[in-house]
Amino acid sequence: MDNHLTQTDITDLSRRAILSGLGGLTVAVALPLPILAQGAPPALPGLGRDAAGANARTGMVTAHVVVKPDGKIVIVSPTTEMGQGTHTAHAAIIADEIGVNFADVSVETAIPADAYRFGGNMGSGGSMGVRRWNDHLRKGAAQARALLIQAAANRWQVDPAGVTLDNGRLTHAASKRSLGIGEVADEAAKLTPPDNPPLRDPATRRYVGKGVPRLDIPAKVRGETVYSMDFRLPGMLYACARLNPVFHGDISTFDAAAALKVKGVRKVVKIQGGVAVVADTVWAAMKGADAVAVSMAPSPQDTISSTALAAAMVEGLGAEQAIPATARGDIDAAFKSAAKTVTADYGVPYICHAPMEVWSCTGLFKDGRLELWAPTQVQDRSRRTAATTIGIDAEAVTVNTLLLGGGFGRRLMDDGIPGAAQVAKDMAGTPVKFFWRREDEFDRGYYRPAQMARLTASLDAKGAVTGMAIRISGPSMRSEFTPGGLKETELDTSSVQDLSTLPYALPNFKLDWARRHVRVTTSPWRAVGATHNAFFLECFIDELAAAAGKDPVAFRRQLLAGNKRALAVIDLVAEKAGWGKTLPKGHAHGIGFFASFGSLSAHVVEASVIDGQPRIHRVTTVLDCGDVVLPDGARSQMEGGVVMALSAGLYEAVTVKDGRAEQRNFDTYRLMRHSEAPPVIDVHFINSGEALGGVGEPGLPPTFPAVANALSAATGKRLRSLPLVEALAV
Amino acid sequence: MIELTINGKMHRLDADPDMPLLWAIRDLVGLTGTKYGCGVAQCGACTVHVDGVATRSCSIPLESVAGSKVTTIEALGGSHPLQKAWEEMQVPQCGYCQSGQIMSAAALLKDTPKPTDADIDAAMDGNLCRCGTYPRIKAAIKRAAGVAS
Repeated sequence: MDNHLTQTDITDLSRRAILSGLGGLTVAVALPLPILAQGAPPALPGLGRDAAGANARTGMVTAHVVVKPDGKIVIVSPTTEMGQGTHTAHAAIIADEIGVNFADVSVETAIPADAYRFGGNMGSGGSMGVRRWNDHLRKGAAQARALLIQAAANRWQVDPAGVTLDNGRLTHAASKRSLGIGEVADEAAKLTPPDNPPLRDPATRRYVGKGVPRLDIPAKVRGETVYSMDFRLPGMLYACARLNPVFHGDISTFDAAAALKVKGVRKVVKIQGGVAVVADTVWAAMKGADAVAVSMAPSPQDTISSTALAAAMVEGLGAEQAIPATARGDIDAAFKSAAKTVTADYGVPYICHAPMEVWSCTGLFKDGRLELWAPTQVQDRSRRTAATTIGIDAEAVTVNTLLLGGGFGRRLMDDGIPGAAQVAKDMAGTPVKFFWRREDEFDRGYYRPAQMARLTASLDAKGAVTGMAIRISGPSMRSEFTPGGLKETELDTSSVQDLSTLPYALPNFKLDWARRHVRVTTSPWRAVGATHNAFFLECFIDELAAAAGKDPVAFRRQLLAGNKRALAVIDLVAEKAGWGKTLPKGHAHGIGFFASFGSLSAHVVEASVIDGQPRIHRVTTVLDCGDVVLPDGARSQMEGGVVMALSAGLYEAVTVKDGRAEQRNFDTYRLMRHSEAPPVIDVHFINSGEALGGVGEPGLPPTFPAVANALSAATGKRLRSLPLVEALAV
Repeated sequence: MIELTINGKMHRLDADPDMPLLWAIRDLVGLTGTKYGCGVAQCGACTVHVDGVATRSCSIPLESVAGSKVTTIEALGGSHPLQKAWEEMQVPQCGYCQSGQIMSAAALLKDTPKPTDADIDAAMDGNLCRCGTYPRIKAAIKRAAGVAS
């Protein structure tokens, strides 16, 4: 069993957050890591080539840096490139520190080995791609530079202190000698790296903080990028899945006769959850999959429905018993002495990651070893799962990572691995690409869980908040994401993510969670529990502002009094959005502010409702992630995160009936389209100099309340449930 | 045998007449720039030009395009004004939808060299992007067309 949610990361982040003056953030899901001894920080991986495993090769100076004879650099990155530009960021960090030209750098994803693991696992998530690795990669690059300088000094028999490395060339100014780094790479690789190499002055950086074009973009605009479905091996066959669409469901019996009559079909293989039809082409495999006669195995999940779950969640909102998360001050006394009490219930549905790339994975089983080519965020988890599934040792599995056609957390799950491994083993000696169709991607979704909340707050006569109680009610994400990893009596920290440590001054505060679980598959969805908790809290803050007769921005400023970093974020977004200025008729502003993944973000959305349909006219957004490594990449992440969150908040919902999703493709699962996207997303950064925070996720949470607050203001009707198009239609 | 021209080259394909054009392009001809996204003409990742018209290749059977001229992303060659603008504006994130986005935009600019916002919305609404690159796509189309943002 894997435990991919860890106390360690929470501890690590809390420490970071304390350092950054936030007073401790609770982040429920960061990188998938095993649970380590309480309080023991995970050791940083080794930087040497001895920790590079199968990635080791000629010219590898340190585990992340390979110097080719022509002086070009190959960076072996510990992270999966999903489109956020982390590979480009790693290239910029390393190119700056070594002293090579960015044009001479390329990046590949590591095959799992110790140098690329954090806490024992290789994986990408939790907006950790840059902030976790920045200092470490920089140190490794400084070691590489020291080794190259030493190798040149040895060759010239001079003091290394007199040798410099810039633009990929080593120079000894005193003797006017110079050579390219490729000429001494092999010698450098044989030397012992210094433990504490000197780091370059950040002022000398040419790429970090300045901006470089993304390395992966040229191939992407030419259609040349090899995604998983495009990856080919000689003699490769295709295997289309036919699965029971019921969550955790399986197929009890099947008849392959009709499938085998389809031209090009070779074989039908039983796999976890169903069968796979192996054929010469994708199309033959699909036709074969449709032709297999299957009997679905009955399961307890067959009766799950969204309506029954909603009733259970509503009951949970008022239940006596709940699992405590945080309690401070005297909430009962605060409520008793209140001049006014406000309470409201909120709810969000299951939502699907829906990456544009549908799952596929190529496998080759040969001589007792399995090699996989997978679009995964969790290399080691995938490796272990493949090994367990087909009964071989994890050491006998090699995982190669391809560029992802979207991750968003979905590829933190390894549920597509067993089928690929089983088919490969069955077809030993022949490479097989195992794939799902879009309908399987929806059926087999590991959704952001549905969740509800009841918020209650007391105000004094002046309209100040004196106490707040938050009850969250709903299914447990972690119970599905890490089966067996959470007891039924245990708090799922993702359900209450970031609410225990709000930047708002709330001396009397109570937070708990009523677990109302059903076995609908769930996993981290970009920004995880913050997606619903920001919506619950920040919409409620607007309700409190209204009850206190105050402006939403002024009301938040009052709750953040003394928190300079947070006030700077609020003030900048209000200024840039023109908060309080007259808007066109029918338009309204809404604000949302939330701290997650070590960063602070606030948005102002300008919206209206035209013919019953919401229109988003402008989004003004501010992020304080400490410091920005790639400005345009960060801007791109903020823009994209806002659009993705607007899409989810306005339109998206998975509903469940008879144990399966009712939405199986984009005709029924609505994503935001071009004409619905805001024409302007105005992005601003605050470089506060605090510890690096995340960039890929923190922009999403405040979007949900900002758009809901704007539409509530525009319509005069308080919207308390998602998707907003449905709330507007009621 | 079904005959059709793909990127200027004549192909004779021995395939099921009901095989969608997408899979013929990818698996029989070997051009993988055109993507599978939904299989039901809802996402646009598979967009190609059939006789100059933007078409969802996942939902059009091979037999119905016999004798047609098909153009895929590979034929744009990398120096098409849209591809240049896409690079300059750093449009793609995961990039999976972008072949289809560019092919839809290329068909738009061929018919409407100076598109309005409404023209762009109408031509591009069938192309989904989960990473949310819509604002940059619109800006890149305008840059390629030489119209003001």
